[in-house]
Amino acid sequence: MYHYNNLIRDIMKINNIILALILCISLVGCVKLEEDTSSILSVSELKTEEDFDAALAPVFARMAIANKDAHKRITTTGADDLTTWNGGNKAPIGLFDGFGYGNGVGAELEWLSQFSWDPYWDVIYSANTVIVGAENSTGEESVRNLAIANAMFARAISYFDLVRTFGGVPLILDLDADGTESRATVLEVYEAIESDLLFAASQLPSPGAVSSIGKPSNAAAKAWLSSLYLTWGGWPVKDETKYDLAASTAKEIVDMGYFELLPIDELWLLESENSKESIFSIQYSTGDNNFQLLPQSFLPHTAGGWSDFFAELDFYNRFPEGPRKEATFLDSITIRESGTLDPIENVHWTNSEATQRYNPVYRKYTESEVAGYDTKMVSFRAVEFFRYAEVLLIYAEAQARSSSGATPASIEALNQVKRRAAGLPYLTPDASVDVVTATPNEIVDESGWELAGEFKRWFDLVRTERVEEIAALRDPTEKIVLVGTPSKNHYLAPLPLKAVEGTNLTQNP
Amino acid sequence: MAPNNDIQGIPISGKITDNAGEPLPGANILEKGTTNGTQTDFDGNFSLNLVDQNATLVVSYLGFITKEVTVENQNEIIISLEEDATSLDEVLVVGYGTQKKSDITGSVAVVSSKDFENQPISRVDQALQGRTSGVQVSQTSGEPGSGFKIRIRGTNSINGSNEPLYVVDGMVVGSISTLNSNDIKSLEILKDASSTAVYGSRGANGVVLVTTKSGRDGKLKVDFNANTGFQTIRKRLDIMNGADFAEMVNAADTGVNYSEEEIIELRENGGTDWQDEVFSTAVVQNYQLSVTGGNAKTNYYVSGGYFGQDGIVKDQDYKRYSLRSKLNTDFTDKINFDLNIYLSREEKNGEPANVNSTVTFDPTTPVYDADGNFNFSSLKNAATGDINPLIATKFNTLENFNNQAIVGTSLTYKLTDDITFRTLGGLEYTDGIANSYNSIQVNQLGSAEVTNNNKIQLQNTNMITYDKEFESQNLKVDLIHEQQYVKTTFTSATAEGFPTDESSYKILSLGTVQNTLNFTDDERLQSFVGRVNYGLLNKYLFTGTVRADGSSKFRKDNRWGVFPSASLAWRLSEEDFLKEVEFINSLKVRGSYGLTGSQAIEPLATRARAVYGTEYNYPFDGESSIVGIGPSVIIENPDLTWEKTLQSNLGFDVGILNSKYTMSFDWYKKNTSDLLLLVTLPEFIGANLITKNVGEIENKGFDISIGANLIQKTDFSLSTNFNFSKNTNEVLSLVDDTPISNLGESYLGSVLSVNPTRIEVGQSLGTFRGYVYEGVYQTGEETLEGLKAGDPKYKDLDGDGFITTDDIQNIGNGNPDYTWGLNTDMIYKDFSLNILVQGSKGNDVYNFIRARQMGLGSTTFHGVHEDIKNSWTPSNPSNIAALDKTAASHQILSSEFLEDGSYIRFKNITLGYNLRPNVLSKLGIGSMRLYMSFENLITITDYSGFDPEVSSGGNSDIDLGIDWDAYPLARTISVGLNVSL
Repeated sequence: MYHYNNLIRDIMKINNIILALILCISLVGCVKLEEDTSSILSVSELKTEEDFDAALAPVFARMAIANKDAHKRITTTGADDLTTWNGGNKAPIGLFDGFGYGNGVGAELEWLSQFSWDPYWDVIYSANTVIVGAENSTGEESVRNLAIANAMFARAISYFDLVRTFGGVPLILDLDADGTESRATVLEVYEAIESDLLFAASQLPSPGAVSSIGKPSNAAAKAWLSSLYLTWGGWPVKDETKYDLAASTAKEIVDMGYFELLPIDELWLLESENSKESIFSIQYSTGDNNFQLLPQSFLPHTAGGWSDFFAELDFYNRFPEGPRKEATFLDSITIRESGTLDPIENVHWTNSEATQRYNPVYRKYTESEVAGYDTKMVSFRAVEFFRYAEVLLIYAEAQARSSSGATPASIEALNQVKRRAAGLPYLTPDASVDVVTATPNEIVDESGWELAGEFKRWFDLVRTERVEEIAALRDPTEKIVLVGTPSKNHYLAPLPLKAVEGTNLTQNP
Repeated sequence: MAPNNDIQGIPISGKITDNAGEPLPGANILEKGTTNGTQTDFDGNFSLNLVDQNATLVVSYLGFITKEVTVENQNEIIISLEEDATSLDEVLVVGYGTQKKSDITGSVAVVSSKDFENQPISRVDQALQGRTSGVQVSQTSGEPGSGFKIRIRGTNSINGSNEPLYVVDGMVVGSISTLNSNDIKSLEILKDASSTAVYGSRGANGVVLVTTKSGRDGKLKVDFNANTGFQTIRKRLDIMNGADFAEMVNAADTGVNYSEEEIIELRENGGTDWQDEVFSTAVVQNYQLSVTGGNAKTNYYVSGGYFGQDGIVKDQDYKRYSLRSKLNTDFTDKINFDLNIYLSREEKNGEPANVNSTVTFDPTTPVYDADGNFNFSSLKNAATGDINPLIATKFNTLENFNNQAIVGTSLTYKLTDDITFRTLGGLEYTDGIANSYNSIQVNQLGSAEVTNNNKIQLQNTNMITYDKEFESQNLKVDLIHEQQYVKTTFTSATAEGFPTDESSYKILSLGTVQNTLNFTDDERLQSFVGRVNYGLLNKYLFTGTVRADGSSKFRKDNRWGVFPSASLAWRLSEEDFLKEVEFINSLKVRGSYGLTGSQAIEPLATRARAVYGTEYNYPFDGESSIVGIGPSVIIENPDLTWEKTLQSNLGFDVGILNSKYTMSFDWYKKNTSDLLLLVTLPEFIGANLITKNVGEIENKGFDISIGANLIQKTDFSLSTNFNFSKNTNEVLSLVDDTPISNLGESYLGSVLSVNPTRIEVGQSLGTFRGYVYEGVYQTGEETLEGLKAGDPKYKDLDGDGFITTDDIQNIGNGNPDYTWGLNTDMIYKDFSLNILVQGSKGNDVYNFIRARQMGLGSTTFHGVHEDIKNSWTPSNPSNIAALDKTAASHQILSSEFLEDGSYIRFKNITLGYNLRPNVLSKLGIGSMRLYMSFENLITITDYSGFDPEVSSGGNSDIDLGIDWDAYPLARTISVGLNVSL
């Protein structure tokens, strides 16, 4: 009896233990160990036009963000069309204006990498993704080629800015980069840009036939090609045979007969965005509060801006009088309440007591300003990267430098710009403004007046090796003093510190 | 021992209680020198027949100091016993169970409620500060409701989280900051591998075990605690007044000018003192009520609390409500069930003014203009480009609500005498809502954001324990299976372009531009643990643990990790040669070695993902945007796996003179390898971010803890506890051993792309970088090219004649060399005094606020610091940079602004008074204590900013000690009351 009870008890114990173990084991595996990836999107195959548009949007969106304010002009401030305020946080800009950079000085500036380096690589990466995606796509050939053309265009114009600013940069043309790449030569970069633009020019639709105004046309590709060839003929490569190509490519655009020059007093209005003078513009829209801040950059603090960029005194004084000068510089600056940006009074730029600044203010971007958006002076106007006026000037200069010299057509191109600048109808010859001949340097000067403040003048001076000559004209009363003597070492900006640290990229002298 | 009624004797009866008057059931009463004894009953009463009329009674009870009382012709006697705080049979909570203190082989520190009940505690993590060695607790922000940063034995990981694991009553929870501090019975901190290995993959950063109070078998007890006080800012910074500032601005000649009349007016009205305008005295209050009781089978503990704190910086307040209910019952004599429910709600309201803006803003601009509206920014564009610091706080709305529910339930089944089965199920649900609205007055636009952050965490633990004591050996085996599931959901809706401020964030549809964003992720964990505790002759102790964890954060091939550990301890005091030495009553030597892991990265870290959002959309037609989907910036890494920490620990615990003095010493060394590191590749690659297992960090140091009961008399007692921790952190290797400069924040905006901190092999985390400041060039001194007298002088390290980023070097470190705490308790009759002092030595602080006050930094035009008046001029050859210094010559990142943040701080001084029991018993009150307390009363430091303890880096371990806009800690004076019925 005793043993039997013990046995029952022991069996009960074992039963209990087994029951507990079974309970344990059954609860195991309640939780599976695969993580939930449903909220990540993987970029799937690109096939239809909508797919490619969705993939191209980031390419141009990044360009829009990079051009939202004027900061990319920092490295071009050495030219005579731009200077900055000598106070506040503008020391990085002043460094370039005063030629204090070089020898590694300036590499540490946050703005240098933030505006002049990083955004371009974002665009190039997104463009490469589209190109590789299109090459591997099973979609229709025409759709694919058009997408590749658009992406190559974006990639090419980004490399063009990079190579003119920094010199040779790593050539990343696919998605296999691993960080060990070194700087390509300037010539190699030019050739890559040329190849991209030639393909783009062959595939993109003609102006007026693009699916959306924000997409480039083959004229846009040709415009950049002509600028590339013009730069190719100058410093540092100095291959003078390229001038012929520059002239002929520019002439192709003129011969399309599509583009026009707008009257100078209408050119910068909001209504004139994406006009017949615009060859390619970056779009902004009121729709999602997508504004650009160029007015903010070009206005002094007393007018609600950031005092980033002004015109140099001497440049203003040399600027020929006339309707173009009135349309370029703001004679009447509106002083505003801080915060609400309510207008208080209008003063002339020379009224330094009211403006607290000592330089002329650019009018081009403030023409379309909207006051008081997010406490800033904003604009919703599209920003032109290339105007028809520049094409005419490239044609005139390239032809003058070419093997055959200036032609009546090329002089006519120059005169059209001059007439428009004088407020006259540009297609009608007028003896009071027309010229019969013009040296290349005179055409470069004309380009300086026409494209003042548009991220062009510095590159013109560099390729024609006139930086030192123009810097010598600087007004000694400028508040920002020259720190260094302009020399060939200043032709290229220093590479940002983080691009050089730990990579195979070598710094500029 | 049965009452010996057979012997004729002198009857005596009485009651045994603890020193709070609580009856002690089951206490032993023995007539000394005889075998005559008895035990107290349920109410603490006893009766005994004494042999000798003048006998001595020996009263003993587990956990209390045995007391001997001589009976002098008394028939009735009440004896109260003191709790034995250093009892060797004290039971500590360890991972997945409990263990006697004498049996512990690992490194465990305990903070019990007794240690902090004399100090008003607003957050549970505050109870740990200054009380234990090896644990560094710092308050990185004084914002109401902000938590503490806890680090156990240094920081292991660069990118992964370094937060210790928090376990409350056996359940892993996200944080302990919302717990009601009066509910806490004890906090155990597990420091070494042996004690944390049982938590395996999550134990590498140490574990904080929280045990809450339970009900007990006894009559109803009600506790009420109330505390209310005032907080003020501890110090003011040296800022120029309006007139002095105006004169300095004129001297700087940058285009801003003050006329003579303006300066005279400023001298008369003093200008604006922004520190006065923004800082204010703030109220803090804390109320708690708890009820506990039960019988032999069932007991309960219910508590509720309210905590409210206003901010010393306008305008913000914080409230916390909590409710806890614990129920424990024996279903049968073999099965025990308990259910714990904890609910809490936090409400934080208001956007505080920015501290940096406040102390750098133009002192000549009045707060209001002539019409009574705020002046938007500096009237003359002087000082900074910031907006009036009071505007955002007055017009913007910022609300944070956090609801939390923690439910834990467990079933314990005693299968046999030696085998117990326990299953635990837990749920933690957190729901965070954040609403914000930026007024049209601030940005002319009106923008609102409503976000919801939702987390649900489920846990199930199943354990079988075999616990048997043999003759001279004892063996305990635990087998555990655990699984956990966490799901996080985030939703956000924003709108911009409102026609009016009236609706704030409540009618998002009124905004012209609307955006939405959401994502969800989850993480899962499966674990198996085996642990053996073996003791031989109560002298030789061994613990071995193995844990295997599988985590969903890693891909299939790298998912499982195995974490073993072993430890040994030798109780020397039990050996014959030491047993006779009365001086030393306990001495234990222990050592441990083990491997723990960390998977503290975000879910989905191994995967690449496409990017989207408004910044990728483009309006090709100039009007409406096309949705863009961009390529991933992250490179996928399927090889990602656990971080591993190998830790060895050697220590000893000694008690002398019957534990009048105790000391614990631990030496440890931790090596963390396979660090989960976010590597940034060069920008031109495009997708340039990847998380990899690479790098190694070492932490080594020692913790010392010394306790002393200096004086123990009837009327007066003095005891003190001193702890000291020294930790040395060193980065041993990185990717190709190249320094990482971009993981911390930049803080300096557009001025410099060099971060103030850098991670470098051979240095510790938190290393500061900067130029070496050598004063100012004086007249006639040779300067570098382009510089002149009055310009700041920096060391040209590479001797190239230019000051470039190559001249930046390591100039300091945010980590302290050592930290210490001293907690002293003094009791004189009914008065008690508790003083907690805490100190830190060798931690540097980068004072960027002072740099900005000196006129440096983006959007800064003129400095407001008093030192500006001492700027260099040819006639005043000081070492402050001249007003007309060469552009861009004055560096913000330099040793000029790196200060020694060592401090000694009187964290708490509390003076209390216990009312007499005879007075109280007439009112039916068991005990009552009134007290007055001072927090952060005195701080001894050389740091010139607001507070050396706070950091703008928050809980970051890379950005320690950075004062950019850190919210200073307050000095608090409060009074309080504890009542027990």
